Amino acid sequence: MYLLAPTVLRVAPDDFPERVRSRFASELRRAGRFAQLCLLGAQACLDAAGGDGALGVLWASEFGALHATRAALDEDLRRGEPAMPFAFIAAQPHLAGALLAQRSHPVTRTACLHLAPDAWPSLPQLAQRWLVECERVLVGCVEESGSGGAAHRSDWCLLQKKPVAGAVRCERSLGPRNAAAATAEDWIPRVAAWRGSADAPLLLRGGEDAWSFTPDG
Amino acid sequence: MTGTFVRACALASALGPDLEAAVERLAGAPVAPARNTKIGGTWPYFAIPVAGKNWRKRAEAIARSVAESLRREAALAPARWAELPCIVGSSSFSVGAWDDGGWAALEPSFEFSRRLARGFGVHGPVTAVSTTCTSGLSALDIALGLVAEGEFRDALVLGAEFSNRLTVAGFAGLELLSATAARPCDRERDGLVLGEALAAVLVSAASAPWRIAALATRMDATSVTGPAPDGSVIANAMRAAMAGAHWESAAVDLIKLQSGGGPLADSAEANAVREVFAPVPRTVSLKGALGHTLGASGPAELALLLASLARGRVPATWGFANADDELGLAPSGGDAQGVRRVLFNLSGFGGSVMSVALEKAL
Repeated sequence: MYLLAPTVLRVAPDDFPERVRSRFASELRRAGRFAQLCLLGAQACLDAAGGDGALGVLWASEFGALHATRAALDEDLRRGEPAMPFAFIAAQPHLAGALLAQRSHPVTRTACLHLAPDAWPSLPQLAQRWLVECERVLVGCVEESGSGGAAHRSDWCLLQKKPVAGAVRCERSLGPRNAAAATAEDWIPRVAAWRGSADAPLLLRGGEDAWSFTPDG
Repeated sequence: MTGTFVRACALASALGPDLEAAVERLAGAPVAPARNTKIGGTWPYFAIPVAGKNWRKRAEAIARSVAESLRREAALAPARWAELPCIVGSSSFSVGAWDDGGWAALEPSFEFSRRLARGFGVHGPVTAVSTTCTSGLSALDIALGLVAEGEFRDALVLGAEFSNRLTVAGFAGLELLSATAARPCDRERDGLVLGEALAAVLVSAASAPWRIAALATRMDATSVTGPAPDGSVIANAMRAAMAGAHWESAAVDLIKLQSGGGPLADSAEANAVREVFAPVPRTVSLKGALGHTLGASGPAELALLLASLARGRVPATWGFANADDELGLAPSGGDAQGVRRVLFNLSGFGGSVMSVALEKAL
């Protein structure tokens, strides 16, 4: 399969509302911060990749909708009141896919995974499976900022069956010994940094699994 | 027959701490939810009948019991059991720990899932998936891929939804709960009743009585909290599952409905069923007995349904008494003779719609 538009998004928490407003014209109705963060990165990736066709959306997060959960627990539940719709945990992590679909993208399936940091190879592996019925799969790693002024991150790339100009060939590798260790936080940034800078394949490992990225053509 | 099969199931639910007790109880008279939860109103709740003041310890005790049952039924060699990959589907994971431990008691969803897997004694890779109420079937979908591609011969799927006040608060905020009872497909239906469950399904490349012939997933972005009123996406998912299984609609003997008693969602599903099937085959809903167990509902209802069918019974739909002419569905239990092909529907917030084709293999 082929990888397009590796997109690395880092946003300081203070800048986040303005970034959302400037990209989507307003705060997104019914979406908490986590869903908005997913959408901001996913949309940037799709803008860069272009194209069309049935789309799967698959993303991973270690902590998920931390902010929405904290808000619902602290603001509503302590008072014994119903949580504000769309701010509670069941809806929030999964919401981004539906919001993306509502923005006229032909989304056919979505899933939010929670993985160990070195289990990121599950994402391209699952995407490859989805490509049997989707033409493209948008793959992301999303994490809200913790404490200490860290940035929110929302990194995405597009995987598809068909080769196109500028795409990177992406294959599961059976000989991972010489692969560099990568994590959910840095595998997309490393592909983005490597892309266009070298002819040699990039080999990244997560756990016992490895993927190779090769310039196409 | 080749494919992926359901090798073993186990379940802790409001019907009992194990699957045997649940099937027995389901064959008797309907039982009302045992607990009420007060958040912006008083809501009935289907709780697992296992006591415990500490949320985490109670969850672990339930998991140990389900693991023992599954291990017994699966009869895998210890080495094979230990190598199993585990895919956990849930919408709330460990958020219930907040109820008695505060913010500090919460842990990331993956950590909770890994601990659950280790509690089952399995040490293969762990994946946690959240697609709201279809989480458990999304977990099953991932497991089917692992087995179909030959990565693993067997895979463990867990659907986990443990009691927590936050989920009730969310559904109360959306005004989706019934204050009295779950009445799937009934003309008096007025909302969902939530419940908790821990279900385990072991899928395998080795032949077993039920084969998972196909699993279809669709996205319904009409609204993030409900299906398109015409049911078109649900119909599409059912057609895709049947196409994947190479069935004609007339081949379906039973449809396990998503239906949980929500006025609009039940209506959308009924529209879909009537669009795809003429005549409509037998139908059943299990949410009147289990409650809506959200992310656990796929594996929980699958376990309960297959165990009931194995004992020769299509379960009765608790809470259904009077047909709603507008729905045109009248779930009916009874003798399961001749039930060889089952379509198993599930849908959830965020537009996730799934349908599974189950085929009797032995």
